[in-house]
Amino acid sequence: MIPLTHGFKIEADRCQGCLSCMRICPTHAIRVKNGKARFEPDQCIDCGSCLTACRNGAITATTLSSEDLFKFQFKVAVPSPVLFGQFPAGITPDHIHEGLHSLGFDAVWDYGVDLILSGRAITRYLADWKGTFPLISTSCPVIVRLVQVSYPRMVDQLVQVQIPREIAGREAKRRYSEELSLSPDQVGVIYITPCQAKTISILQPAEGAESYLDGALGINAVYNGILAYANLHREDGKKPSRGNLIRNSTMLQWSVSEGMGRVLSDHQYLHVTGLPNIIQVFDDIEKGKLRNVEFLEAFCCWSGCTGGNLTVANIYVTLSKFHTLISQLPETDPQTEAEVERRFPLENFSLDRPVRPRPVKGMTGDLRERVKIMQKAEEILNSLPGLDCGLCGAPTCKVLARDASMGDATRTDCVFYSKERLRDLQKRHIHKGRPGPKA
Amino acid sequence: MKRMFEVRGGDFDKAGETSTEVKTLLKDLGIDPGIVRRAGVVTFEAEMNVVMYAEKAQVTLILTDKDIAVEVKDQGPGIPDIELAMQEGYSTATDEMREMGFGFGMGLPNIKKNSDHFTLESELGKGTRLYSVIRLDSDDSPNTRV
Repeated sequence: MIPLTHGFKIEADRCQGCLSCMRICPTHAIRVKNGKARFEPDQCIDCGSCLTACRNGAITATTLSSEDLFKFQFKVAVPSPVLFGQFPAGITPDHIHEGLHSLGFDAVWDYGVDLILSGRAITRYLADWKGTFPLISTSCPVIVRLVQVSYPRMVDQLVQVQIPREIAGREAKRRYSEELSLSPDQVGVIYITPCQAKTISILQPAEGAESYLDGALGINAVYNGILAYANLHREDGKKPSRGNLIRNSTMLQWSVSEGMGRVLSDHQYLHVTGLPNIIQVFDDIEKGKLRNVEFLEAFCCWSGCTGGNLTVANIYVTLSKFHTLISQLPETDPQTEAEVERRFPLENFSLDRPVRPRPVKGMTGDLRERVKIMQKAEEILNSLPGLDCGLCGAPTCKVLARDASMGDATRTDCVFYSKERLRDLQKRHIHKGRPGPKA
Repeated sequence: MKRMFEVRGGDFDKAGETSTEVKTLLKDLGIDPGIVRRAGVVTFEAEMNVVMYAEKAQVTLILTDKDIAVEVKDQGPGIPDIELAMQEGYSTATDEMREMGFGFGMGLPNIKKNSDHFTLESELGKGTRLYSVIRLDSDDSPNTRV
């Protein structure tokens, strides 16, 4: 199996080995060895918790930088709706539209159409579905990876419909390469993303196909540029000259509360945000406790994509901004509707191939092997202190025992078994200006 | 793999712990969730019977390549009429037990329903031995809409 690509990197030079990322990681993918954090690619689901937890700026998103844009002849921005809720009052979507142009983009994509197209495709998929319920939205890449890694038997329940940003990428490439007689490679379609996780679905889509997008820029990377532009221009009172980018409230509504909930109002719909809540719900699905839900939309971040780790504004301020925008816009408009009607019959919305499970190490062998590993891990665990101090470099004693059972660690990584290990930690962490324990 | 658990009669505080342990163990081994759920039901219902009626019991779990076997051997009053006890809705539970939400006469039928092989033997005044086997390859998809 090809190792998983991730949307962030750990810079060893900056890492102080402080264990914060290891402690917060929900899938226990991080270990701290020799004072440096590293992560197990196959276990990481890209939730981004470690980025937020790192105090030393050692973990950073591998989004594009503005310079990367200039390798394309024609650059199209596909902004996540979240972008429009980021700016202070008085800065309109039209200012943001203009601001993206001022950063070097040649076009800004009308993403609202793609969202509605994807909604229609999902509605059709749901109506035709004969398999196990609930179906699970693939909008959040973290959820897709969580299912692949931790709930491998639920992969068939992931909706096999293209996500809106891919639908947008494909159409933007097609249209501009045709209109401008460029090759598709010369047209760069860049997603303006609220989180680093969206980049993984571009670098390495879960189904193993190729993304139609060329990369992602974090909202935080374009924020200052747009803000500076908008501040300059909102004073002069001139109405921005480019067309209205946001003509109706649908796209914004999807980003705030219930996502697909409005589209699927005839169906049993469940909306969950925040990884711990999602894990609880997925456990219930596995146990067969959640029988009446047909469609489940889950977003790793609390409050959905507005809480992404590359956003700038406070979630609640963003939501309030959305509230105002939504109240000023009609629910739909003729131009969007016409475009949806035109494109829907022309495009294929199914995924190119199915999403496959990605069982983690120790779960791939036959039952006999798995039992052997478990028994060995239990034996080792019995000899560990059970304090989950993390000083061995694994988040819990149970994880250390499991690593050791597979030969990836030893019992002497535990400070209770190795004075050297303790001395090493003292050397690394006591002489840094912080007072050590008094003798 | 073999695991043994002790269940004490009358211990409503700890009732359900054995089945939770069994479920966690099987889940950690990557056993199909449908199978885990069935093994959980069998263990839970059997455990509840012990807590409600018997003095104590030994629960033995044996996992092989092919199946999960659960044996529950208790020291207790025994079952006078097994055929009657197996009927849905038949129960000898007290009002107190019913108030706690148990004793609706579904335990044993539920165990049987979730087993691929099931035996129940009992000797009055001595105890009961329940034996249930769940095949690992038996199909189960509880969420499918029909």
